[in-house]
Order: sequence, then structure tokens, then C-alpha cells
Amino acid sequence: MSKLAAGLLALLLAFPVFSQEFSKEELRAILRHGPWPAPWSPDPSNRVSGNPAAIALGERLFFDPRLSPSGKVLCATCHAPFRGWQDARPRAFGLLEADRNTPSVLNVRYARWFGWDGAGDSLWGQSIRPILEPREMGGSIAATAALVRGDPGLACRVERVFGAVPAEDDAVVVALAKALAAFQETLVTGRTPFDDFRDALARGDREAMKAYPEAAQRGLRIFVGKGNCSACHAGAAFSNGEFHDTGVPFFVAGGGVDPGRHGGIKKLLASEFSLLGRFNEDRGGASALKTRHVSLEHRNFGEFKVPSLRNVALTAPYMHNGSLATLGEVVRHYSELSIDRLHADGEKLLLKPLRLSEGESADLVAFLETLTEKSSVLPPPRPPDEACAK
Amino acid sequence: MEKRRGAVRRHPAGLTGALAAALALVALAAAACELPDGRRLDTPRLALSYRTVPERIVAGELFEVFFAFCPKGGFKPAGELKVDATMPEHRHGMNYRPTVAPAGTGFRSEGWMFHMPGRWEIVFEVDGERLADSVSIE
Repeated sequence: MSKLAAGLLALLLAFPVFSQEFSKEELRAILRHGPWPAPWSPDPSNRVSGNPAAIALGERLFFDPRLSPSGKVLCATCHAPFRGWQDARPRAFGLLEADRNTPSVLNVRYARWFGWDGAGDSLWGQSIRPILEPREMGGSIAATAALVRGDPGLACRVERVFGAVPAEDDAVVVALAKALAAFQETLVTGRTPFDDFRDALARGDREAMKAYPEAAQRGLRIFVGKGNCSACHAGAAFSNGEFHDTGVPFFVAGGGVDPGRHGGIKKLLASEFSLLGRFNEDRGGASALKTRHVSLEHRNFGEFKVPSLRNVALTAPYMHNGSLATLGEVVRHYSELSIDRLHADGEKLLLKPLRLSEGESADLVAFLETLTEKSSVLPPPRPPDEACAK
Repeated sequence: MEKRRGAVRRHPAGLTGALAAALALVALAAAACELPDGRRLDTPRLALSYRTVPERIVAGELFEVFFAFCPKGGFKPAGELKVDATMPEHRHGMNYRPTVAPAGTGFRSEGWMFHMPGRWEIVFEVDGERLADSVSIE
């Protein structure tokens, strides 16, 4: 080995080269995907948001099959903790198969809209929907209220959290939903290899950066650069919280189409459980601004919510209808995208087939896999639950 | 975070998805006209200033726009006031429809949200007179 080669090798060993030198623009884009966990404050529309007793009640309800009159379906049937709080099925299956994939409830506290179509504008409002949906839990307002009134232990817990069991049936259901929301707000993904890399970049810690795989670094460059993925998968949660048409067919089994966001806005504005209704406890009214101003447009037809990518490697299958089985298939979808499937002019300008090479596709998948938490965040401790009968 | 370019453009096309607020503009125009501090936009027939609250527009967060205008060159607006924003490169507007209400000597508009990073164009239209400002959101 020549002296020069030996010298270079020594230099490399002493100062391992950080292969991906990001431009200032790329650095700014990368840093916008953090810090994690992102700041959060309790939901002003739900006065028991963050309340430990409400969280404990919500956790009980989440695993209580009696919310379905069948006694066979609980929230955790589809949102299974050991499957990343989803069900690993293409489409949800409660009492019957539904039309859409079950989204994870992890990080749901950061969402602006809820469900693939955003028909919910609060986590508590959204928590009512599956209870009443015939294909999911198949319950009713009356049956749910009767459950509380007929179970002294449950009624006692509702009284402890809310002061009393509400007189009106729909208010009882809202109370349960607000407790369910308080529990789900505690479900947050832990830090990921990407977060460590992002923070190391922020503080210029090249030694710490070296722990991040090079393939993931190359994939990250595609994500914020030629892939333009971060235009929609934006921010610390990797979602802009809004809705887009990504060329995934919206035909549903048995005929018909899924209207997506278009139908979601219509349902939202017709719902008595929206933030425009009497169950919103935000006296300031700021929480309802989004709902008051949301605009129903023709282009909303076939749009679906941009999902968060945190823990994405644990939440297969993908897309609103669970039609893509692996992250590799998702990357291929965007790489070979048929723009003829996009119905909105704007999406045709935003989304173009990426034409990624095999190596680039693998790099992008490698990056996405680093968005998976290293260890779960434990929920906060529950208060003693001795005052009410089991 | 946004970066602003003080571009003023006139477009023949109408506003897409804009909210029309029929307001009594004549009285406003007739009063002594002084624009408050803010981003200033001008056409031969109109001067307008606006500011956003919060000042820094963040992608995915609601904000408000406060604005006022003064007619020039004998222009007497008496019709509609419209506000809107679009992403010209993407050919789409906001997912939200702002409202406009009188506030002091000008107007307060709430319900704005830029849901994607990139270049947005904030548009004001006073009785057909169009003023636009380009804003870059990171």
C-alpha cells in the first residue's frame, strides 16, 4: 500500500466521512421534521383532556366489548396495541368488513382532522363514529347510554370524571367519547433513529450522525428533494394533516365509490358532534375555526388524509384502502404513478412519477424504516381506581 | 416560516373559491384615508396594506389577515370585497374559506391556512381591482 493510500485510510478511520453532505435547503427541510416528541397542549373542546381519571376511564372503555351491543367488538379489535394500534388488515373488520384501512391511533393527539375523510374534527367526536357504525361496533346512542346507567361501576367512574352521569343519552355518549379521547391522547410514538440523526444535524454533532445508516441518509435526501414527499408528509408528525388525491383507486367492494374528503366534509357539517355543536366545551371558540371555515370543493372528491409516517414500518398495509402491502409497493406506486388517475389539476402538478432506480427505491424504504420508534412511550401512571365497584 | 416578495400582479381571471363580502365601501372610500403599517400593495387605482396575525405564517396553522385600502385616482369602489390565496404552481387554493368583517378603519379576515410549503399568492379584490402578494412558506 502506498504511503498516500495508507494516509487516506488512516484519515478515514480517524475521521470517518459523513457521506451525505446536505445543502442548506435540505438541512432546513430535514430540521422541520422535528423535534420529537412535538409540543402538545390539552384539547380545549374537551374539558377532561389530560385529566388522569378520564384517561383511566378511557382506557377501560377502549378495551370494553360492551360498547358494541354484540359484545364481540372493542376499540382494540381494530386498534390493537400489539399491532401498532391498528389491525394489519387491508380493510377494517369489526362486525363486518368496512371500506377503509384502519389507521393507527398513535400520535392522534396531533391531528387536526380525524379519519381518512376527516369527517371528525375532534378526537372525541371521532371516537363516537365507530361505536355507531353498523359495520364496526354496531351500537346506538340509546344502547350506549343504557350501558352506563345499568352498570354502577361504570356510572360511578363517569360521575367521578364528569361530576354526574348526564341526563341526555347523547351527552352520555359524548362523555364516554371524551374519556376515550383523553386516553388516546396519551398514545405517542417514541423517538426514532431519524430523530436522533435530525437532532445531531441540528447541533452539528457529526459523531452522532454516523450512527444513522447511509442508505437512510440517501433516502432522506430523496424524501425532502426530488421525491417532494415532505410537501405533504410535512412537519414533526410527517403529515400536513390535510387531504390529497394520490391516484389510489377509490372504488369500493360491491360497487360504488368512496368520495373521501368530499363526503367527509358533508358528514362533518351534518354532525351534531362536530365542534360547531353544543358539546364543544371551548368557550373561546378558537377550536371551531377550522370547521367554520373548511371549504367543500369539487376537487375534494377522492381525496384522503395524508397519514403520519411515524412507525410506518409497523402499520402495513398502506393507503386508505390498504391496497399496498409493503413500503416497497408504496414507493413503487409513487415511482410509477399514473397521472391519468389523478382527477385534480393541482395534484397533477404536484405529483409526478418519480422514476426511481432500484437503488433509490431501496434507499427511500430504508429511510422510511428509520421513522419507527426505538422503544414505546409508556402511558402516564393511572390514579388508584378503588372508589368505584369493578 | 414565510418569505415575502412585494410583487403586485393583476390577473384577468376571477378569484377561485373566493368569498364575496358585499360591503358598503363607498363610505370608507370617502373618508380621509391613511393606511396602517403593513405590507403595502399598489395599483394605479388602489393602495392596500395588510398584516397577518401571527406575523409569521406557519404551514398548517390558521392565521388572520388585517387589511385596509385607499382608493386612488378617483376610483370609487362600491361593490364586492374578496379575499383568497392560491398556490399558482399547483393550481389550487386553500382548503379553507376566509371570512371578512369590518374592523376599525379596515377589515379583519379570519380562516386562512396555507396547508403546504411553497409559494402562495395572497389576493385581495376590491370591486374588481385585484392586488396580490407573493409569500413563500417553508
